[in-house]
Amino acid sequence: MADSLFSQLVGLSAGALLLSAVFLVWRRTQSGSIRLLSLQGVALATLVALIGVHRANFETFAVALLVLLLKGVLLPVLLTRSALRQGEERNTPFMNPTAALFLVALLAVLAYVVSRPLAILGSGPTTQVIPVGMTLVLIGFLLLATGRHAIAQLVGFLVLDNGIATVAFLTAGGVPLVVELGVLIDVLLVVLILRVLTGRIRDVYGATDLDDLTELRG
Amino acid sequence: MNTSAVLLALLQIIVMILITPFLIGLMRQVRNRLEGRVGAGVGQPWRDLRKLFAKEPLRAPGTSWIQAGGPVLLMVSSLSVCALVPLISTLQSRLIPGDLFVVVSVLLLGTVALALVGLDAGTAFGGMGSSRHMTIAALVEPTVLVAVFALSVPIGSSALGDIVRARIVDPSSIISLVSLLALVALGIATIAETSRMPVDNPATHLELTMIHEAMVLESSGRDLAWLELGSWLRLGALLGLIGSLLLPWGMATEPKLLAVLLGLVMLAAKLFVLASLLSVTEVFLAKLRLFRVPELLAGSFVLALLAVIASYLLEAR
Amino acid sequence: MRYLLLLSLTVCLLLAMATATLREPILNRFAGIVAATVVLICGVAILLSVLANGPLTVAGGALRADALSAFMLTVVGSVGLNSTWGGLAETKSVSGESWVYPTLVVLFLATMSLAVLADNLGVMWVAIEATTVTTAFLVGYQNTRRSLEAAWKYVVIGSVGVAIAFLGIVLIYAATLAAGSPTLSWAILHVSHLALDPAVIKVAVALTILGFATKAGLAPMHSWLPDAHSQAPAPVSGLMSGVLLSVAFYAILRIQAIAGSVLGVGFLRWLLVGAGILSLLISASLIWAQKDLKRMLAYSSIEHMGIVAIAAGIGGRLAIAAAMLHVLVHGLAKSSGFILAGRITNADGTTEMGALRSLHVRRPGLANPFLAAMVALVGLPPFALFFTEVAIVLAGFQAGLGWVMILLALLLLLNFAGLIRHTASMVFGRAEIEPEIVQPIDHSWHGPRIPIFLALTVAIALPFISRLGHVLSQIADVLKVIR
Repeated sequence: MADSLFSQLVGLSAGALLLSAVFLVWRRTQSGSIRLLSLQGVALATLVALIGVHRANFETFAVALLVLLLKGVLLPVLLTRSALRQGEERNTPFMNPTAALFLVALLAVLAYVVSRPLAILGSGPTTQVIPVGMTLVLIGFLLLATGRHAIAQLVGFLVLDNGIATVAFLTAGGVPLVVELGVLIDVLLVVLILRVLTGRIRDVYGATDLDDLTELRG
Repeated sequence: MNTSAVLLALLQIIVMILITPFLIGLMRQVRNRLEGRVGAGVGQPWRDLRKLFAKEPLRAPGTSWIQAGGPVLLMVSSLSVCALVPLISTLQSRLIPGDLFVVVSVLLLGTVALALVGLDAGTAFGGMGSSRHMTIAALVEPTVLVAVFALSVPIGSSALGDIVRARIVDPSSIISLVSLLALVALGIATIAETSRMPVDNPATHLELTMIHEAMVLESSGRDLAWLELGSWLRLGALLGLIGSLLLPWGMATEPKLLAVLLGLVMLAAKLFVLASLLSVTEVFLAKLRLFRVPELLAGSFVLALLAVIASYLLEAR
Repeated sequence: MRYLLLLSLTVCLLLAMATATLREPILNRFAGIVAATVVLICGVAILLSVLANGPLTVAGGALRADALSAFMLTVVGSVGLNSTWGGLAETKSVSGESWVYPTLVVLFLATMSLAVLADNLGVMWVAIEATTVTTAFLVGYQNTRRSLEAAWKYVVIGSVGVAIAFLGIVLIYAATLAAGSPTLSWAILHVSHLALDPAVIKVAVALTILGFATKAGLAPMHSWLPDAHSQAPAPVSGLMSGVLLSVAFYAILRIQAIAGSVLGVGFLRWLLVGAGILSLLISASLIWAQKDLKRMLAYSSIEHMGIVAIAAGIGGRLAIAAAMLHVLVHGLAKSSGFILAGRITNADGTTEMGALRSLHVRRPGLANPFLAAMVALVGLPPFALFFTEVAIVLAGFQAGLGWVMILLALLLLLNFAGLIRHTASMVFGRAEIEPEIVQPIDHSWHGPRIPIFLALTVAIALPFISRLGHVLSQIADVLKVIR
């Protein structure tokens, strides 16, 4: 693949990752969030596939397929089913979206500052967009910290995870395959566990509003 | 060079005046057809204008000169924008600075004129519309400014013509991260600025939600015609700017007849494509509740800001 | 000998499969004990072998045991044995005939063993994240409002923290890639002189330590710990407080060694010492106001992790050796404490310390060992924690951290006073309202005595083993900074 085209496509998929994260902060209905998350998964898979093709590395390409299946399809489907079971709830986060959006801009600046030392890890388009991965990590944190419902927190966790994966593929073209598989399985398990816990919390509390989880103090 | 640039600017004005009513007609027609109605035809806005221009403006007692001057001022601002924004060619004269900041301030002038017209009659709806419009404008103008600024950073010039020319030279920069973020921000800002869905519904007169229609409620006849044409021109010019940034091909880079003709055809094509797209998406969108609008605009502003950050830190190396 | 590394993992996995498929009541009951015993035996055997012949590797270097990992495996085994054996009665009352509970406990032991045996930082990460996965349902096992809340917080905060650690590990990997030889092997990272970029390693190490510190319950990322450790069934609390925290801390030690060889020892010292002091401060203030017995024990774990963090910050042979002994003895004492607390709360039907009075008169069979465990935990002689704490303070003075050590001693005293106050009022204090029906004096231990007895004996006897100093310094030498 030509270098300039590669660099453009990497920029484009990184842009899609960032855009989906920003829209996730703004749009807080559950089904909308899950769709955006799925989109983000696809964008991540595209990025991985691009790196795989560019480096002519079959392993990376296979990982891209896995990422697509897991983050683009399986996890969103799991979340959707979980959301459907509890009925569409409007997701009112702790922070008003306008403030959250401006916080995103600040977080982006922070991410750029943090990523500055990483610039020496290589040159070329993949190194340039590392800050996007870091921004994703921070936005994931934001979503997690301000999400009121179980699903919203889950989405935040997955955005955070996508961010980490983005940084991993951008800096090192991914970690060794064994570790990669372990990570993907762990993420899947965590999501499954949180799903089961969501169900149980709903059975016990009657809702998944995590504001109610205030019995343990001190 | 200078004369030809002035001539081209004049050409842009004339072309835009001719095209934009058809553009609006097209958008309405597309919407009508998609919603299963016949529609009044593409030429209807022109017929409306002709009718309005022929009518004497009725002004409510107690209104001031603003009722007559505001529409003209809006028209002047819109025409200036049409002249300043690179639409047919990227040529710019020193006489007419197509600078980003100039364009935004001229746009703002029109916004203020429109808001004053809404306030002048002292009716409840006019005031409401003006206040809403100013709220939106306060968020939109910085977004436009920041978004285009992000595009100007890699080029090192804030002249719109230079930005577009650089994109013709290096088309790959169009799908870069910076460009993507900036264009999405600019798109949202354009929709809000020109009072389209999902910010305002141009097709209703529902007093509780309308923005643009509320401001022009007290104007009639010639005044209304100026206001309508002025607003359409703004939409046309902003769509044209997005078109030039997104698809800069075919624009004249030198003052030759053939190139200019090509630029003209391309402009028309770009505008019609973008307008149809906008219209199609509008069919699928529901209007946002008013207090959600600032969220949308804050989002677009953040995107523009991200674009600036990205442009500084990515392109610097 | 090297196949012992595989043995503990294989046995645990087979046992887990057996409990999950056979669903045999006897197996369910004893699976945890068998697994812990195997891990303990493997740990001791590997430790002896490593001390004699140097590190063992197996499976192409994927698993590696040096003195440190062998020691940690021993800690996992011994604390695991104490918790599972001592918690037999509790396990039965909590899980009944269910196969889920024993399977998860065995898998939990397996993941901890993998975490300490893996040479690859990535695999170690996966194993530590897997401990969250296996313990999540154990924390929420009782399915009450409180336990579900605790489980939710535990999984979310734990996974996010550990995810941050993964970001750091990724950056370490990227740094090795940039230096020309991509690896995540700790042995290579520690020994070889790869030209790793200091700026990248700085960011990477900071992120990794932050992440694993969350899992290790160091302040200010400790908020999940008292919830999770107080809501889990007592044997699981014992395992989590006694050894899971230490396994997470083991990861910090490994990363610290890498950071030391690239950046020098100064970089992490103040981070660790600061987190340690903050942990002690928080535990001291919250122990004083504590009303819940198991939460008090959980805060005491935060205190002890703080002490270990300070020891790691001080660095050097004496501090690290003391920290290692501290980890083992704390694990034994804390698991005994949780088991006994579980028995007490089951017997009296409450975890409110205000309602648990005059235990010494009413239930001497439980009060006496509980008192012993608490005395061990607050670091009174003859228990080993006294000697390790003294050693850590001494090492701190030697390293020139005199003021910090004075602060540490003060905070230790505060923690000590808080714990003793609560314990004394529970064991010896009079109930405000005398029970109307006078119950017969309860001499029963409410469960196996041998593990508790053994654990507390070991906690006393360890410092008197003559070869111990030699063994501990060999363990500490594993982490020696090579520049």
